[in-house]
Amino acid sequence: MNARRVRRAILGLWVVAAAAAAPACKKDEPKSTRWDDAAVTVNIATSSSAAAVPVGTFNKFFPKDGDGGFKRIYSADKENYAEAKLQKDGKEVAQLSISDTERLATAREKFDAATEKVEGYPVLKVGNNQTPALVNKRFQVKVASPTLDHEARKAILATFDLKGLSSL
Amino acid sequence: MTESLYAVLEALPQTSLTTHILDALDTFVPGEWRNITVFEEMVKDVTGESDQAIIQQVGERAMQLWSDESTGYQRAVSVYKGIDSASTVAGVAALASMVGQKFEILSFLNDVTPKPDTTQAIDAGVKLAGELVAFTLTNGLPGDSVSDFAAALVNYGKEEKIRLAAWLAIDCVLPLGPDFILKILEALDGPLESLQESRAFQFVSAHLPGGLGEQRDTIKKNLEESRGHLEGLVASHGISQESVLAKVKEYIAIADDKLDVAAAALDLATNTFEHTGTQTVVRRVVARAYGEI
Repeated sequence: MNARRVRRAILGLWVVAAAAAAPACKKDEPKSTRWDDAAVTVNIATSSSAAAVPVGTFNKFFPKDGDGGFKRIYSADKENYAEAKLQKDGKEVAQLSISDTERLATAREKFDAATEKVEGYPVLKVGNNQTPALVNKRFQVKVASPTLDHEARKAILATFDLKGLSSL
Repeated sequence: MTESLYAVLEALPQTSLTTHILDALDTFVPGEWRNITVFEEMVKDVTGESDQAIIQQVGERAMQLWSDESTGYQRAVSVYKGIDSASTVAGVAALASMVGQKFEILSFLNDVTPKPDTTQAIDAGVKLAGELVAFTLTNGLPGDSVSDFAAALVNYGKEEKIRLAAWLAIDCVLPLGPDFILKILEALDGPLESLQESRAFQFVSAHLPGGLGEQRDTIKKNLEESRGHLEGLVASHGISQESVLAKVKEYIAIADDKLDVAAAALDLATNTFEHTGTQTVVRRVVARAYGEI
């Protein structure tokens, strides 16, 4: 029996099997409803006249490989966003990112409540695991880690080239 | 309208022939993969946060990024789907009947004519190129250096790692044996028409630069650069024809012990790239959203 005949046989049998209604795949329905409203409004994006930050722009402002005893591995380089992971002893310790807040006003506005600074830039704690800074009122530099505390995350923020980033 | 991000993830089955196969292959990369099919659970897994307001913000931002087609995330999922659907027959997974805790691949699937070695080898090479394409659509080319996908492979974890293990086990080692890399490279060196005839290639070629010859070279280069790591994985995790078949048979009743027949049946009846690839892309979009909020 060749593969094509098998495929035909399978497709034919599909109808029979569907009628027999013996589901082999378990699926609980529905799983989530909390995102339904978000799905409807999600296409309303914040517009901006500023040019997008091109791919490859942010990489040079990340901490150097080996800074603080961490191995740095770049993990994403997209328009308006770049990301790297820090590893120690082969295990992931933190996610680092630089993003443009030009099209996400809420990301920028949360710094109005900041009381701390790193190298003169406002810094705050977000959730349990994040410590971001806002450079030049536009670029968000973030250290996220479930194992490092806020102070340790701030220390990593200081190893970014924040001054360099502010000159963009 | 495009399906929203949470719906794409939540459309994945919690239990299927594919998830059984992935569970079986977990033995080669223990604890890396969990079958997350609920969006909120993915957000929690990526962020480690429990504050509902933050989870909502991350989820909504992730959905926004996904809905913007220019970000490439939707195309990445379609590549994962494409390279799988090229070999998977719709409905087969649902047709496999559950006997006790085991899936039984219906007897006619055991009559599947295995692909010729050359076709199998080319498809395997093309699938790895598909992984490269989906990776770059999802993540760009991270870092300042030239495309270093081979280095990224070394840092693969979770869904990425089980997908790679499944590819090595089912697409490479089971049908082609331990010297699979050599066989794939040899097959790619054959007539270019063989590559053109690969259905999986249709989904990948649009994203590879150059003409057919150059695309073939990219697929080969991708394999050559990853070779050390891939062979290391096979050796260190004990992936052999015997171990793969034995593991798969714990979960799935396959009547035939012929390795190429088993590989062909598994190829027809599962969609490991689509399933875990969707999870990978959702995870990466959520990680970015967490960075951006």
